[in-house]
Amino acid sequence: MAQRPAIETVGLVKRFGNVVALDGLDLVVEAGEVLGFLGPNGAGKSTTIRVLLGLLRADEGRAVLLGGDPWRDAVSLHRRLAYVPGDVELWPNLTGGEAIDLFARLRGGFDQRRRDELCERFDFDPTKKGRTYSKGNRQKVALIAALASDVELYLLDEPTAGLDPLMEAVFQDCVRELRERGASVLLSSHILSQVEVLADRISIIRRGAIVETGSLSELRHLTRTTITAELAHDPGPLAALDGVHDLERTGDVVRFEVDGNRIETVMRELAALGVRSIAAHPPTLEQLLLRHYGDEPAAATDAVS
Amino acid sequence: MTVVAAHEPLPAEVDETRDPLAGLGVLVRFMLRADRVKLPMWAGGLGVFALYVSIAVPAAYGDDVAAATQLFNGPVGRMLTGPGYGLSDPTVERLIAGGYGLYLMLVAALMSIFLVVRHTRVEEQTGRAELVRASVVGRHAGLVAALIVATITNLVAGLAVFVALVAVGGFALIGSALLASSVVGVGLAFAGIAAAAAQLSEYSRAASGLAGGVLAAAFVVRGGGDMPEEGGTLLSWFSPLGWAQQTALYVLDRWWPLVLLAVTGLVAAALGLVLSSRRDHGASFVPVRPGPPRARPSLGTPWGFSLRLQRASILAWTASLVVFGFVMGLFAEAMLDAADDLPEVIRELFGERDVVNGYLAVMATLMAVFVAIYAALAVQNLRSEETSGRGEALLATPMSRAGWLALTLGVTVVGVTIVSAVVGFASGLGAALTTGESGFVVDVTLAQLNTVPAVLVILGLAALLFGAWPRALPLTWGVVGYGFFAETFGELLDLPQLAADLNPFGHVAQIPLEPFAAVPVVVLTVLAAALGTAGVVLLGRREYAAV
Repeated sequence: MAQRPAIETVGLVKRFGNVVALDGLDLVVEAGEVLGFLGPNGAGKSTTIRVLLGLLRADEGRAVLLGGDPWRDAVSLHRRLAYVPGDVELWPNLTGGEAIDLFARLRGGFDQRRRDELCERFDFDPTKKGRTYSKGNRQKVALIAALASDVELYLLDEPTAGLDPLMEAVFQDCVRELRERGASVLLSSHILSQVEVLADRISIIRRGAIVETGSLSELRHLTRTTITAELAHDPGPLAALDGVHDLERTGDVVRFEVDGNRIETVMRELAALGVRSIAAHPPTLEQLLLRHYGDEPAAATDAVS
Repeated sequence: MTVVAAHEPLPAEVDETRDPLAGLGVLVRFMLRADRVKLPMWAGGLGVFALYVSIAVPAAYGDDVAAATQLFNGPVGRMLTGPGYGLSDPTVERLIAGGYGLYLMLVAALMSIFLVVRHTRVEEQTGRAELVRASVVGRHAGLVAALIVATITNLVAGLAVFVALVAVGGFALIGSALLASSVVGVGLAFAGIAAAAAQLSEYSRAASGLAGGVLAAAFVVRGGGDMPEEGGTLLSWFSPLGWAQQTALYVLDRWWPLVLLAVTGLVAAALGLVLSSRRDHGASFVPVRPGPPRARPSLGTPWGFSLRLQRASILAWTASLVVFGFVMGLFAEAMLDAADDLPEVIRELFGERDVVNGYLAVMATLMAVFVAIYAALAVQNLRSEETSGRGEALLATPMSRAGWLALTLGVTVVGVTIVSAVVGFASGLGAALTTGESGFVVDVTLAQLNTVPAVLVILGLAALLFGAWPRALPLTWGVVGYGFFAETFGELLDLPQLAADLNPFGHVAQIPLEPFAAVPVVVLTVLAAALGTAGVVLLGRREYAAV
């Protein structure tokens, strides 16, 4: 990675009155990577993106976007990026197709064929008027407009909110195509599993600051998998294993959490205990934050989104 | 989104579950709470208006009421204020009721329209009503609650007016009660009309526009009816505003015309309830058609987009103002006829031709106030883009905040000019057709274009507020309203020079009564450009959607 990063912020601070939305945020998106930007609701993800778009001005700190200043060079930078908001509002008197074309043409580089292909892939009817679209369909308007643009950087703020799993899969394919093309992507989400499959690296934001950054395997120490299994034998030996936590037993069924780097050992032990059925759940962001920072779920809603 | 006409009756088990008014009390309290600032402002504003005239008119004209009434007693005066009952034998209270009563009623009507639409169609359009309806709330509870709140507000406003007239003005009890009741009656009639209008379109703006159109028509019709003679003519009786004024306040003090208002309100409200039970939630009676799957090339440019957003607004304003202007122009002939009845003094002062010219000049300024509403709305819509979140996605494209505002201002300047030219032409055509003097077409078109710089000052002010302090944007409406007030009553109330100067519309030459004057045009244009430029620069510097 000899190229300069697509996004680099140092010590960003943004206050709204007494509320500190960003509290010294250091974020780096390398050129050509997909960075998962992960945090609970209200952690400051959208505020960060608005600063990067030059809609808000940071009170302190420095942000460099594609080598420019997001506030000063907003217009020229916007030619080189595409943005998908988490909550898309449309004009009631424009059709979805018109809105897509509007965004894409205002941005410049716009491939009509790719636009039509995306409409088809996302199963989107462009002839309806703005107000009649459901949330997921409004989201598709912004997604198609962004993905049809050939730009260097994509800022995606919870882009799949409201999409069904089928469309989520289409979206994931599209993001992989962007990466193959060499584009950089900032992908914000509050769902760990969503980001996991796409991101090269993950940065976790909590209360306006980045608390963890790394590749998924680097973050493995943070994650615990929840396993529910029905066993033929007594699960006693399991509880004694290193890395197994919170073991509960109901009849033949055991439920426990296991550290990401201990799964192999645990699986061997489970096999020896005669597994009849097994279900494993990936860790959620909430579990993760709760475990490492003692966050109560309610505390996350204090800040401004 | 099509209309569902049939409702299969559900098996009746518990009566409560079928109550169409379930949750009414909670909704009324909620609406009063949500509007705890707006409603007292409206009702209090009406009271203050009545208070102001009760003090100002006697102070200014207490010793020479007859002179003051001449302004209202002529055909132009009657067109703008009402049938002028008792103005041939004027007292202060007759002057107030005859000259200002109509405007109290107009304010009450607007208050009711905005109130009812705000609590019905706006709620539905934003999706908030869906949440409410999903709880234990009857089908009609929302609409009825809005009507109840409108009734409460109108009654409070009426009481404020009554107290001002009696306690401060010291006017006759019966007449004052009747004037207050007329204001309440008009308010309630238009609350009903708004309730019906809110069912007809999916969009709140169209609903307000429709009810506002009925109000404008009511104004024009009674204007045409009242103009020819004192007491009005048969035509005056075809307007709800006419009924309210046919109470002949402080003269005959008739109660029965108010019955017509009450019936109108009740019938319209009932129509609204029937219509609302025959349509889907969130839908209208106009089926939704598919639109173009692709944008035309023009839409992809900032200019094209800005024009597209304003297109409907420009067309609607042009169409309604053309009709309004044309009808007002047609009244020119009636002016000529009525000029014979004018007091000798005035006829000598103006001459017959000048009476018509003066009338057309006043009309051009009033039209300019309406064009200014369109201009202010253009900036207001940009603010809506900002608060609704749509603007954020737009500004993530290579379009700057400042550029967007500048562009919108450009489109609006063109729009204002076109609307003014067309409206002036229509008014002039109406005047030319009835009087047979073709020169009016050119004169009135020029008169209307002459007001454009004043309209642009309003536009510039809106831009400045939007750029500097968006929350204060509603102040623009205050200035527009003040302009209307000063144009209509300024001379009569003898406003101090400074106050009169604050009215941008007051500076333009009164064409065709006066010759064209270049100085005000240049000064106002420069001022408008300065305000607009400041707005553009400041918007570029402020954060977007932060507050």
